Amino acid sequence: MTEKRYRKLNSTKQLEKIMAKYYALSRYHRFWGKPTNRHLAWVTSGAPVELLRSFGIHPVYPENYGAICGSRKVSTQLCQVAENAGYSQDLCSYARSHIGSILRPDLAPMKGLPKPDLLITCSNICGTVLKWYEALARIFDVPLLIIDTPYLTSDMTNHAQDYVHKQLQDMVPTLEKITGRAYNQNKMKEAISSSKETISLWTDIRGLCKNTPSPLNAPDLFIHMAPIVVLRGTKQAVNYYKLLKAEVQQRVEQRQSAINGEKTRLVWDNIAIWYNLYPFFKMFSERNACFVADTYSGGWAMELEQGEPLESLARTYTEIFLNRSAEFRAQNMIDLMEEYNADGFVMHSNRSCKPYSLVQGIIRRKVMAKTGVPGLLIEADMADQRVFAEEPTRNRIQAFLETVEAI
Amino acid sequence: MAEIMKNLTEYHDLTLLLEEAAYNGNKRQIRWPGYQFFGYFCSYWPEELLLAVGLEPLRILPPGTNSTPALLPTYCCSLARNSLHSAIKKDLDDLKGVGFAHTCDTMQCLESIWSTEYQQKVLSLVPPVHLKAPGAKDYYKEEMKSLLHHLSEITGKNPASVELDQALELTNHIRKLTKELDQLRAYLPSQLTADLLRAGQVMPREKYARVLGNALPILEELGEKQSTKPLILVSGAVLETNSLFEMIENLGGRVAADDTCTGYRHYAEPAEPQLLKDPLEFIIHRYMEMPPCPCRHLQLNERIDYLEGLADKRKVAGAVLVIRKFCEPHAWDSVPIAKRLKDKGIKTLVLELEGSAVGGQERTRLQAFLESLMGNS
Repeated sequence: MTEKRYRKLNSTKQLEKIMAKYYALSRYHRFWGKPTNRHLAWVTSGAPVELLRSFGIHPVYPENYGAICGSRKVSTQLCQVAENAGYSQDLCSYARSHIGSILRPDLAPMKGLPKPDLLITCSNICGTVLKWYEALARIFDVPLLIIDTPYLTSDMTNHAQDYVHKQLQDMVPTLEKITGRAYNQNKMKEAISSSKETISLWTDIRGLCKNTPSPLNAPDLFIHMAPIVVLRGTKQAVNYYKLLKAEVQQRVEQRQSAINGEKTRLVWDNIAIWYNLYPFFKMFSERNACFVADTYSGGWAMELEQGEPLESLARTYTEIFLNRSAEFRAQNMIDLMEEYNADGFVMHSNRSCKPYSLVQGIIRRKVMAKTGVPGLLIEADMADQRVFAEEPTRNRIQAFLETVEAI
Repeated sequence: MAEIMKNLTEYHDLTLLLEEAAYNGNKRQIRWPGYQFFGYFCSYWPEELLLAVGLEPLRILPPGTNSTPALLPTYCCSLARNSLHSAIKKDLDDLKGVGFAHTCDTMQCLESIWSTEYQQKVLSLVPPVHLKAPGAKDYYKEEMKSLLHHLSEITGKNPASVELDQALELTNHIRKLTKELDQLRAYLPSQLTADLLRAGQVMPREKYARVLGNALPILEELGEKQSTKPLILVSGAVLETNSLFEMIENLGGRVAADDTCTGYRHYAEPAEPQLLKDPLEFIIHRYMEMPPCPCRHLQLNERIDYLEGLADKRKVAGAVLVIRKFCEPHAWDSVPIAKRLKDKGIKTLVLELEGSAVGGQERTRLQAFLESLMGNS
């Protein structure tokens, strides 16, 4: 019998329970949405969901669904459906999977996502989400709300902040009209407060991985980040992360590592390779290498700014790391490398995510120069299996780990 | 004699424009000594501001090789890869700087790489993505002011005294001339019109305005009075060469409507131009109201409506939607545009190109497409 190298978290059961409940609620929205006057919105992962929650909107995340399609290995088939409808194979595989699921729900997990009453897209994560949601608005003929968060080449400017703030202010009467509900600042504050608590817990959990051995490995972070995406701004997320933090804290106290015999500590950059999540990271763990931090799940750990709620959201959501320069992101990686005492880093050059990936060459160079540790670049895709070549990847990983181990 | 001399001058002007188009700005130091060029990539980069501070705008159109610089993965467009390659080769070192108007994810990353890796002055302008968003105009104005300030620093001009009015007069004149040229295109070889429009992005603008103004009457005279060729609409991103236009022409078609970044869209004016006293407001109005590229949002179907209207106006029989490999914004838009045009009975070909040059594979597809149009007519 092969040695079990991976320690599963007990909290996973609770995670599965709350995620199943969230998707069941979403799926049956058609039964409870109208009677309770709760609208269902498809929302991008970087949108200021706290504002939507204050209007009782139930957010559903096509990107999270794309990750589910990837993990269940149905993305490729769904992508092909979208490609047959004219969408280029070079477009984001989350978007193609999602559009494929709309065109062929019979092939899709949960028979696709429940139909939206409105669409909300925020440009802070990429240019794709604008085009993707335009396509959705044409398919479903429902209102499309766009939050334009200007890309920050350096620091936030006053006029950029004012611009986003103005858009959020303008969204209030629009949402009042769509939902038939009045803006309730108390509910908004409640949602922000829950988000802050969730973010703080998630930051603590990630911070616990600074310990040696690390209590968590990257796949843990990728799986357990789901609630901070889809349940952000709710008490359920807060409760879940309290549970998870307690378990991770216990691991630290008992010096339990995520993988057996941690020898090498690594940092991960980019979205997970969902269809190959555990086998991929096993290529590292079987050589005692643990991913103690990553930039992707850290994207949801940004602290909400203080101040008037809409101003705070405007600033926070414009300043997220994917909306920042290579210089900023390189420094972010350098900080992670130092804080987590990492021996190396691995970057997933993700064909589906250009803003994340195209600057990795320059970031890699900067991080290596500053920290003196090696960095590996692997080309794959987050959901579409067709571009992943396992054997060459394995060879590169082996060579990389040999280098790291020799240092 | 005077008539002959006049014609020689006119042909000379036309030749100059074609030479400029052929050089694509590459011989600028020899051809235009004493001019200070400033490079840019996108039609949302406000040429007016460069001219106002005494710089000459130069659209960066790298040679059409398939470069693979180490800092960019292969899955980004050849325009980005080739431009970076030109910078690495130091072909752009003479420029007073390089300007990025924020457009797609790829160009966003290229800006980041360029400003991190090279000593060259890099200036950025981030126009609103959602041009009709509340606050977009005020935000855009601040961005423009900030850009003007940084540009003034390059030439040492006081931003308060820069000659925006004069620059505006020149760019408006060029737009008027190119509009006349665009209206002649059904009677002129497609590659000729494409070249003449591209020349205006790579040579000193005052010179361009003068020679194009001189060349227009002779173009009018030279143009076929009636063309029986099937008329085509071409839409797409940057095309560094006239290769596609030439092939369409050689296969019996004629490009009568052009919605490419380096074609007429670069010069197109708003449907309802406004005369505003404040030059900066005038400039902003133009960029906010011009026919949008896929990276901007006006109304949901604004771009599709515009292209449908353009196809109608120019009475095209077919449309070629060009997608440069890995160009996501145009790839996204090609789906609803193709559907709308096809629903209107306009045959539409979605043509993927690696760069701007067309080869054997594209020829086969274009030939079949044009034959189907000729069969119909």
